[in-house]
Amino acid sequence: MTAITIEGVARSFGTVRAVDNVSIAVRDGEFFTLLGPSGCGKTTLLRMVAGFCELDAGRILFGEQRIDTLPPHKRNTGMVFQNYAVFPNLTVGGNVAYGLRARKVRADEMRERVARALKLVQLDGYTERWPHQLSGGQLQRVAIARAIVIEPHVLLLDEPLSNLDAKLRVEMRGEIRRLQKLLGITVLYVTHDQEEALAISDRIAVMRAGRVEQIASPRAIYEAPETPFVASFVGVTNLIEGVVRGHAGGTMEVTFGGGVVRVRGGKGGAGDKVVLSLRPEALRLQGASEPLPDGWAALSGMLGEIEYLGPVTRFAVMLSDGTPLHLMALAPPAAPGTTVAYDPTRVTVMAAP
Amino acid sequence: MRLARHAFPLAVAAIAVVFLGLFFLLPLIKVFGASILDASGKSFTLANYTTVLSNRFFLNGLTNSLSIAAAASVLAVLVGVPFAFCLARLPIGGKAALLALAALPLVLPSFVGAYALVLLFGRSGIVTGALQALGIPFDSIYGAKGIVAVYTLTLYPYVVLPVTAAFKSIDISVEEAAQNLGASRARVLRTVTLPLVLPSILAGGLLVFIEALENFGVPFVLAEDRPILSVEAYKLFVGETTDNPASAGVLGVLLVVCTIVALMIQRGVLARRHYATGARRSAPLIAVSPALRRLAAAWCWMVVGAALVPFAAVVVISFMKYSGPVLHAGFSTDNFAQLFERSYRPLTNTLLLAGLAACGATLIGVPVGYVIARHRSRLSALIDIVATSPFAVAGTVLGIGLVMTYSSGVLILTGTWIIMVLAYMVRKLPFAVRSAGAILHQIDPSLEEASINLGVPPALTFWRITVPLMLGGIVGGFVLTFVTVASELSATVVLYSGPWTTMTVAMFQALEGTSAGIAAAAATVLIICTVVPVALVYRLLRRHELSML
Repeated sequence: MTAITIEGVARSFGTVRAVDNVSIAVRDGEFFTLLGPSGCGKTTLLRMVAGFCELDAGRILFGEQRIDTLPPHKRNTGMVFQNYAVFPNLTVGGNVAYGLRARKVRADEMRERVARALKLVQLDGYTERWPHQLSGGQLQRVAIARAIVIEPHVLLLDEPLSNLDAKLRVEMRGEIRRLQKLLGITVLYVTHDQEEALAISDRIAVMRAGRVEQIASPRAIYEAPETPFVASFVGVTNLIEGVVRGHAGGTMEVTFGGGVVRVRGGKGGAGDKVVLSLRPEALRLQGASEPLPDGWAALSGMLGEIEYLGPVTRFAVMLSDGTPLHLMALAPPAAPGTTVAYDPTRVTVMAAP
Repeated sequence: MRLARHAFPLAVAAIAVVFLGLFFLLPLIKVFGASILDASGKSFTLANYTTVLSNRFFLNGLTNSLSIAAAASVLAVLVGVPFAFCLARLPIGGKAALLALAALPLVLPSFVGAYALVLLFGRSGIVTGALQALGIPFDSIYGAKGIVAVYTLTLYPYVVLPVTAAFKSIDISVEEAAQNLGASRARVLRTVTLPLVLPSILAGGLLVFIEALENFGVPFVLAEDRPILSVEAYKLFVGETTDNPASAGVLGVLLVVCTIVALMIQRGVLARRHYATGARRSAPLIAVSPALRRLAAAWCWMVVGAALVPFAAVVVISFMKYSGPVLHAGFSTDNFAQLFERSYRPLTNTLLLAGLAACGATLIGVPVGYVIARHRSRLSALIDIVATSPFAVAGTVLGIGLVMTYSSGVLILTGTWIIMVLAYMVRKLPFAVRSAGAILHQIDPSLEEASINLGVPPALTFWRITVPLMLGGIVGGFVLTFVTVASELSATVVLYSGPWTTMTVAMFQALEGTSAGIAAAAATVLIICTVVPVALVYRLLRRHELSML
């Protein structure tokens, strides 16, 4: 039950800046996720908190206590590894008791705590089993039980679900979230799966090339991305580069090769270069004779490629300058010439990089 | 904290560097020094080289050694590659037994094989006699052809083990792609499969070449008057007439240079062939006609049989009665009685020295292997090269260097058991290091991190998690070191002194005399000393590990 403060942390491997001046404040009891593509530094940052990677600069605190100078075995973190790292030479019970033995917990108390931890991950009765007798999902549960039984300051999870199949992944992520709420423990979670991050987290830090791009709640990350990278990495979107023409009545107008996009409440001065994000769900097909919904605007183009996805159809509308707008509808438009309506309040404006 | 984390690798590196510096590099420098200094030992000269290289006898020795080693490598490849292919890809029975029997010659003393050949096909050999009685002319097997035959039959496992593994690890979809593009089975084999296993073939062939080049016992038994480098270096140094360290040094340097050149050629060929295979499933067996299957099985059993029958024959002969050089039918333990008549010391010496050397090599080799596998840095890359280089140096040369270095000065070791154990440790260190590294590659580092994360300090984690997981491999490596030291001759013959006579030396001495029965008895004892321990731990051994001996 501890807040984690990461201040100006950096680490280079050779000429690569794996973690580049990162500062993050994780609140007590928060489920905090580091999200990014492979090589963005998220795992390195997690390993810095665990103590398996040294810092070139900066410091890390649990509550008021500085911990980056402590050796890893004195940090009292519970880490769940990507490949589970369940000791093959110990039984399930032996694995879970391992950290308690190191803490010299009395035998009767140890037995009780091991049983409780295994019950929490729904593995009661598995104490005497050997790891080679377990499935991937069960090994995952052993790894989690082993990490929480020591009552760590923080729980660290390094892509814990990436080795599970899709169905089990969804089930386990719900279970991890349930456990976290039950125990009220601070969690630092690493994943490259944006859907997983959105589903499970209180807050997310999106990382790219060793830097933090944005820290916010899942909703804010999706609906109000601050950089084009965040907008495109989390969910699917259409990015359009343009220039601010001016403001009129609370609406900002952005011009680009394919026309003008109106943004409700957008910030930026005339002549600023910006990037717009138009999510597919903020777009809809506009029939030729239909009136535009109140406050909506429209763009016209020609129908491009069509992908049938089952419940919906995904297709592209090529605007006059060749920019594709991808959107989804129940059925593709009948005519090649098409108008796409959009909601100016749901267009996101970001400064061009 | 950084310093603390690097303290362990630094300490291990320091121990390895001091050990190898004192007992490997320094002796080699001494040998090199002897070869480029004049008789006074003060001034530089190339006269030793011109003397040796203008001597027809030694030049012949050089060409003999190289051509015999090359011929043995080629033959071992020709025998081993089809064998490996049958084992890896054809549906023949008894594969586990075949593989175990194929690996067996690696732990058997090769000069026992040579001696078996003499007993069977020598001038008064059993088979020779039988053939002559039938009126079939038979030329004896002494000389190059006998030596090459023994090398081929005792060293072919160096080709079989890595190439079998390579055949198994081929990504089958590559072969399927070739077939899909219109290549016939035979064409796929020639254009895809064989090129993919070529690196392993070359690696195996090189091992055969190096082993054949450095081997002392086999040419000693079979070469008769033909000069062979490793034997001549020994004769020059021990000095049947007058000892001549300068010329011995020149021959030693030539041996080392030949090995290094062979290594560099192999590296050069392999550098342009870097195949990473990401095989998801091991290549399936190829369906063949029953006739072809029987042919393949017959080939495999014939190879294994040809390699092992001589050893079996020696064991049988050792239990028969000799009167002088004449062999009589009938069971007898007289040969063993004569062998141990004076003392059991050679046997106890062998067990003691091999045990000590295996302990030493394991104690140094496992931490070094650990550091190389777990702490990737320029330092560990350097240790890797230094710790594995002793395998390129002939035992005779190392022995000569050790005697040159430690027979005077501060540290006098010549004539003691210590110098023998040190030589064995140096020679087997590469194996101990590589085998520890191979085990560690199968243990995920996150297991150690998980233990540390749960509050167990690194040193204790090493004991509680790493060592138990490595234990099977460590024991296997220990036993293999033990048995190969027990059958070591090339360094022993230079270094031993009277009270520290080993079984190999006892047999060597029996060969020099005429007591064929005693030699056979000694050979049998050696075979038991090597086969029994390996059989006991066979389940712990991983097959590919044998190829690193």
